[in-house]
Amino acid sequence: MSELTVSTSPVRVPTGVPPRIGHWTTYRTLLRWATAQVGAMLPLVIVVQALLAAGIIVGFGLLIPDIDTPTAQFLATGAPTVLLMVVGLVIVPQGVAQARTSGTYTYLRMLPVPRPLLLLADLTVWLLVALPSIAVAVIVAQLRYGFGYTFDWPLLVAAAVLIAVMATSVGYAIAVSLPPLLAQLVSQVLVFFVMLFSPVTFPAAQLPTWFQSVHDVLPFRPAADLLRAGLLTDAYSASWRDLVVLLVWCVVGLAVSIRALMRRG
Amino acid sequence: MVNGAVLEVENLTRRFGSVIANDQVGLRIRPGEVVGLLGHNGAGKTTLVSQVVGLLRPDGGSIQVAGVDAIADPATARRCVALQAQSQAPIDGLTPRGAIEIAGRLRGMSRADARRAAEKIADELDIHEWFDRRARPDGGGLSGGVRRLTAFAMAAVAPVPLVILDEPTNDVDAARRRRLWDVVRRLGDDGAGVLLVTHNVVEAERVVDELVVLDHGTVVAAGSPSQLRGANDHHLRLELALHPHHPDPLTDIPVPVTRRVRASRRVLLTIDARHAEAAVAWATTLASEGRIEGYALGPVTLEDAYLAATGDAADAATTPEETAHV
Repeated sequence: MSELTVSTSPVRVPTGVPPRIGHWTTYRTLLRWATAQVGAMLPLVIVVQALLAAGIIVGFGLLIPDIDTPTAQFLATGAPTVLLMVVGLVIVPQGVAQARTSGTYTYLRMLPVPRPLLLLADLTVWLLVALPSIAVAVIVAQLRYGFGYTFDWPLLVAAAVLIAVMATSVGYAIAVSLPPLLAQLVSQVLVFFVMLFSPVTFPAAQLPTWFQSVHDVLPFRPAADLLRAGLLTDAYSASWRDLVVLLVWCVVGLAVSIRALMRRG
Repeated sequence: MVNGAVLEVENLTRRFGSVIANDQVGLRIRPGEVVGLLGHNGAGKTTLVSQVVGLLRPDGGSIQVAGVDAIADPATARRCVALQAQSQAPIDGLTPRGAIEIAGRLRGMSRADARRAAEKIADELDIHEWFDRRARPDGGGLSGGVRRLTAFAMAAVAPVPLVILDEPTNDVDAARRRRLWDVVRRLGDDGAGVLLVTHNVVEAERVVDELVVLDHGTVVAAGSPSQLRGANDHHLRLELALHPHHPDPLTDIPVPVTRRVRASRRVLLTIDARHAEAAVAWATTLASEGRIEGYALGPVTLEDAYLAATGDAADAATTPEETAHV
């Protein structure tokens, strides 16, 4: 055994600024991180979605005696929009509000990565969480009412992605702009507004005219109509105006979220 | 690097309303140096760190990280800093191995390098037992100590110019604390600058090269531990424990005192070694008269200097002799 150990560890730390790493590598690594975080609660989210789908399609159906096929179809094809909105406007803000309270949000903002990539990774994960709700809603409606769908696949996929991203980015924007407690409260109020006061599961004609015009600029009715056009393409058609409204909300949500991520207090 | 420092903070000022959280703070860390940032809760330590990593914008002053202006270009500055925050790192759903590898990958390490580096630091910290156990969102799976060590490893896994550690040893057991400090020392030996944010003076004393003491947003003392002790081999510390219900001002000290600090029930007196005998005799008398619970004579510690500098003691500020030595 030697009495003397001479350690000559070479200086390992390079001087100066470490090189920038590729956005794609950063994004993939952040995605792995975000997936692990959300993945832990994924089973719960899917159970909640299934219960909600059943609640809307079966439960709302009970409110209407002798429901006819067009009404059932309208209700059933509105359900996926409600589910996407619940994920985007309720579950996402709750998750972000929790991340802000626990310090996770601050931790992530201190990482050596471009901050918009943090949002992109989060959006991707929430998109993966939200999209199965469409299938869940379609299956539940099929089991309950047994009517046939006429899918317009390109429109359905594009509408579903756009609506999920819109809802998620607006939910994210709410959660990063308001104090955590207030954000949770707002998201709870929003879900009631979407479920009960938005022409998503019932036709807009049942609302007063002034309230219809309000819903022309809010994202809920345009989202429902666009998705419905993708599910029942022979009965409903998509409108460009709805698409534009959704895109505007999406851009606003993303801009507010990125601004909040980049902001220095 | 322009001036060879990995962190150069000058005249940094930040206000929150009427509260000045950082007031003209100056701080400098060279490569290979471990610098302790000491201060009580609310002294302005976290505010300082938040400005270095671009979470807060300073009201005045400058911050250079590895030669980069951190105020003008916070994104580039962040690439030069690895930080272990005081709050736990978000590793729910991940194993320590996965979390440490992700941290390495985000700093540009290849998959293989990240894997090797994670293994190495797990060896150093002796956390192999939990290395592949998943952290659960309910707080289960991994204990707070293992989570803390994982967060430390995430900050220490890749070579970066500046490593900032905010209370890294909270919840960590004694054996692994020692290992953690060894890694901190190794980071410095590898050439990184380390800023160690803590209020644990005793632990900090063992690892740091330099110390900066913040109090109410201002640097109240800075220098090497021995400089800060303000003492040399000729000085000793006489610690007197007062009675809980009978706090005695102890004004009748028979020997010259270079520093006097009162910390709750303890009175810490820095005296010249030549007067040790007289001081002990006096303390023995106090004890026999029941005016104190007990006393201890030992070398001067950093804690004395720290408590004096931060004005922790109620009567420290009124004792003129100590200010000259801190």
